Amino acid sequence: MLAEGQLAPEIDGVPPSGPALLAFFKTDCPACHLSLRYLDDLSRQFTNDATVVGVSQDAPQPTSELADSLGLALPLRFDSDLNASAEYGLEAVPALFLVDRLGRVAGSSQGFDKADLNRLSAALAGLSGSPVPNPARSGDGNPDFQPGCVSRHLEPESDDESAAPVDMYARRARRASRVNVPADTEPEEFCYEQGFADPLPVIPPTVGRVDRMIAASGLDAEDVVAHVPPNFAPASVEKIAANAVMAGCLPSHMRVLVPAVRALCDERLDIHGVQGTTHFAAPLAIVNGPVRLQLGFACGSNVFSNAARANSTIGRAIHLILRNLGGAAPGRIDMSTMGNPGRFSYVIGENEEASPWEPLATDFGIPAGRNAVTFYCAEPPCAVSEHKARTAEVLLRAICPVLANLWSHRVCKRSEALVVIGPEHAATLDRSGFSKRDVVEFLYRNTGIPVREYDGDGGEGTHEASSYDECLIRGVRCYRKFRKPESIRVMVAGGPAGKFSAVIGSWATGPRGSQMVCHGFD
Amino acid sequence: MSTILVNPLDERVPPQGAAAPRLRSLAGARVALLDISKGGGSIFLDRLDSLLREQFGVTEVLRFRKPTFAKPAPEAVLADMRKAQPQAVIEALAD
Repeated sequence: MLAEGQLAPEIDGVPPSGPALLAFFKTDCPACHLSLRYLDDLSRQFTNDATVVGVSQDAPQPTSELADSLGLALPLRFDSDLNASAEYGLEAVPALFLVDRLGRVAGSSQGFDKADLNRLSAALAGLSGSPVPNPARSGDGNPDFQPGCVSRHLEPESDDESAAPVDMYARRARRASRVNVPADTEPEEFCYEQGFADPLPVIPPTVGRVDRMIAASGLDAEDVVAHVPPNFAPASVEKIAANAVMAGCLPSHMRVLVPAVRALCDERLDIHGVQGTTHFAAPLAIVNGPVRLQLGFACGSNVFSNAARANSTIGRAIHLILRNLGGAAPGRIDMSTMGNPGRFSYVIGENEEASPWEPLATDFGIPAGRNAVTFYCAEPPCAVSEHKARTAEVLLRAICPVLANLWSHRVCKRSEALVVIGPEHAATLDRSGFSKRDVVEFLYRNTGIPVREYDGDGGEGTHEASSYDECLIRGVRCYRKFRKPESIRVMVAGGPAGKFSAVIGSWATGPRGSQMVCHGFD
Repeated sequence: MSTILVNPLDERVPPQGAAAPRLRSLAGARVALLDISKGGGSIFLDRLDSLLREQFGVTEVLRFRKPTFAKPAPEAVLADMRKAQPQAVIEALAD
């Protein structure tokens, strides 16, 4: 803001003629509308050479429409190129400047403020020898003070195409730009320096490599598969392909990666919340169908680790996309307190060949034998070892306490669980004649927290105990851990030797959190 | 021969907005508090509500609540907030 005593700059090429009260405004500012009503009344009270002048930051037509709607009679000038607004140094409108007979600033104010309005009106009257008006009274039905809006010249450039609002439904995207690697720089190091990657080395996404990836997808480079939260950047086929190349994917992997990105951004999964959570959760992808064997997904030994290129690289591509297009860089959007090793890559195949039951995707209506990718926002796996059990009941009793500890021991009805049964355990359950439904029912009915543990210490989960469901488990009064049997999902994966299973906890669940999603594909 | 890469990042330039002008005083102001539904948030906001009235002369404290912290505020909540025309909004973010 210009200080008192400084020469008032020209407005649209003409210096202001004092004594005058200049009022900068824009047509879409509510505080300006309020201020203009008082200023218009004020302008009618000065009958000598003092003037009250409105200075519009908008074009004559919208200004004239506003003047008509408010019934304004005060003289108007235009600062359509906003040069004067910049020279007067205003930050907000309405902005008032009192100009004396020498053309110097004699007072100023920003925002709507009755006290300022009265003070500047009195000063204008003093400069012109007019009676002192009192245009704005407290208690007249309008607030004494209302903050203004940002001055038009400080707004973002509205003619910049890139500043347009996010189009959540765009089906086509611009082509990606091309980036020249300086001749004296290793491309791998260049990618790291440019922030293209997680901390591991990447395959540089050269035009040729990306083009081969796009061609394998059977889609156009500009086709948009999804918008990746929280920034909602369009995941075009070309952008997916560039990240897939960096992750080490093969062109054939686009067959899974493209539907996976679509499922990942399914609103029911709420990856938006998971991207910024302080919790451990990371999206885990589970692959079903013939594509597992065709592309060599690990479903057996080391299913959660670094056993197969398909799991490792598609999982890494998913997380690079979440970071590069969704914006979830660690320490900025991704604020996980402890993190999750699955944030590098978290993809498993179901071991359908070792399973006595229908595949996981059938829980979601996808027929057995069809390709599908299921997403679950997951904690890291918890290990279950049970090498002695010969019956389903004994085996499942080893899993129940691990389920009971999910999220926090005394919190019930909040989390969901994915139970990944190892093939040897699956065989034990099958020998006992347990269907998948029987397994789920048993786990639901036998997982609880003893009521005696809610002893008034105020710990997590104890405040909500009145909403929990009480039951008897082996003669002990307990609160049931899970809201319903469907809160527990069961699948089979892992190697042929070793009586191990895994229990994986969830993030916030249900319609107000994350729901598992399953998308079929060809 | 130089290597040419395909840019794998979000290349949109985010819209930049200047910060709204600061209130010069809270005295006489109407202030909205947005509770995002995290556990304990309402306790914190109740205390803030009292402090704003008692120590800073805020005349009206409006309370709004997101149905879940896990998702963005629904349009209906934002519309209610806009309709109330608060002069300042304090959003109680989680943790």
